[in-house]
Amino acid sequence: MRIALAQIAPALGRVAANFDLHLQEIDQARRAKVDLIIFPELSLTGYLLKDLTAEVAIDPDKDRRFQELKSLSREIGLVVGFVEEKERGLFFNSAALLAGGDVLSIHRKVFLPTYGMFEEGKFFAVGRNFRVVPTPWGKAGLMICREFLSHGAHYLLLAQGVELVLAVSAAPGRGLTEAEDFATSRMWEVMAEAMSYFSGSFIAYCNRAGYEDGMAFGGGSFIFNPFGRRLAKARPAERDFIVQDVDLQELRQARTTMPFLRDDRPEIILHALERIVKSYED
Amino acid sequence: MKINCEFVERVLCGFIREELAKTGYERGILGLSGGLDSAVCAGLAAKALGPANVLGLIMPYRDFAAPDIGDARDLARTLGIRSRVIDITPMVDAYFAAEPTEERTLRGNKMARERMSILYDQSARDKSLILGTSNKTELLIGYGTIHGDIACAVNPLGDLYKTQVRQLAAHLDIPAAIRSKAPTAGLWPGQTDEDEIGITYEELDAILFELVDRRSSIEDVVGLGHARDKVERIMRLVRGSEFKRRMPPIAKLSSRTIGLDFLYPYDWDK
Repeated sequence: MRIALAQIAPALGRVAANFDLHLQEIDQARRAKVDLIIFPELSLTGYLLKDLTAEVAIDPDKDRRFQELKSLSREIGLVVGFVEEKERGLFFNSAALLAGGDVLSIHRKVFLPTYGMFEEGKFFAVGRNFRVVPTPWGKAGLMICREFLSHGAHYLLLAQGVELVLAVSAAPGRGLTEAEDFATSRMWEVMAEAMSYFSGSFIAYCNRAGYEDGMAFGGGSFIFNPFGRRLAKARPAERDFIVQDVDLQELRQARTTMPFLRDDRPEIILHALERIVKSYED
Repeated sequence: MKINCEFVERVLCGFIREELAKTGYERGILGLSGGLDSAVCAGLAAKALGPANVLGLIMPYRDFAAPDIGDARDLARTLGIRSRVIDITPMVDAYFAAEPTEERTLRGNKMARERMSILYDQSARDKSLILGTSNKTELLIGYGTIHGDIACAVNPLGDLYKTQVRQLAAHLDIPAAIRSKAPTAGLWPGQTDEDEIGITYEELDAILFELVDRRSSIEDVVGLGHARDKVERIMRLVRGSEFKRRMPPIAKLSSRTIGLDFLYPYDWDK
């Protein structure tokens, strides 16, 4: 399987321009015989939308550009980010997985960062689920940015037997050290290394580049294999385009060698969690 | 506090290039004082935009800082950027002839705002965007003139402490004459920042880094060996200068008020 990570810099609030940018990147990926191209979080709209959120929202069932992307997915799988207005006045930070001309999954962001420079909780409604769906390449689950840093979110995908974790992100870089990257880039890779290894799954993480209101997005998109090894990494804080082959046989090899998934006990975790959560209320 | 200068240069050059592109400008303009901050900003802009697309305005008042003016001219020549000298003496003296004062700060602030006024006029004439040169240290303690040297369209240096700007200056090969001189706001002859603030930039930055970046308490910072009166005074300066870092409050009357619930990004429609 061949994956492309389109580390683009969408223009803030300019959906038409961003759609054209998507078409260009998709074209490049098709020429490289890519099976699945992943765009960053809110790739069709830009990130720091604030009150623009309502103005750029789309209903995927009706939106002309979304339908065009769906048609394009007959030839190449796509993961795109957008503002979804499924019910009037309810806006979700969503990511869609499109393949074979169908919408395989739409994930609505559950963990909306709202602290410091982040204000998502002010503008977005909260998603409620993490799903794993069958795809031509294996069982895939979507995650959006902050969710990738949650053990719980990863566990919910693991408990559904995820084979491909597809994460989209608009993570600003922050923190200066002597390294040639933002300090925050490490946390994404630490999580990816651990989670790919302990779930025996592939992880493809696509972050964005560019600047919005002074924030530089950190870039550094990557792919990890089920042995916790990094196969590819994009440049920090700059636009990039990564094409990487992954060997899906490694899923079986990893899970045979280290049966983490087989030995997991979701029902015990569930009962224990129920007791724990109940005790919060006591 | 040590930074990777190559990485920071890349991020800041990208910032300058993209901010200009978003606003439809190809050129940048800034005031050159002959000091470190404007030299570093000019150096970054020259790399980001090409030297011909950078205009440095040198704006002396009488012969207040003759050596600095010479250094600013030399810098423009070294970087290959365009430069112009505009003497602010006639405008400033005309005002103070009518409104006399000997108070140095009043006179210095007026000069800083005169330079700002010229910078904005020249930016419109040259179709170039104003690059700010205020660093994080001076923005945090409010060591700048509101609507004067703090005014700009975009600021590449505002998240770097003075001592980090020094690291970047060495990396960018800013001439030694500029790097080795005592920092001054140039409000009056012989002024130096460190004398006026009463602390070295090394210690000031170390204290600010603790208070701001690490969110340490005053007690924590005193515990690290800094004198209590210094730490408390710096915290007072930070608290007392928030008005220089924000848009002024608007009296809220309607259901949708600018800044409170009319919330759009700075990069709206760019």
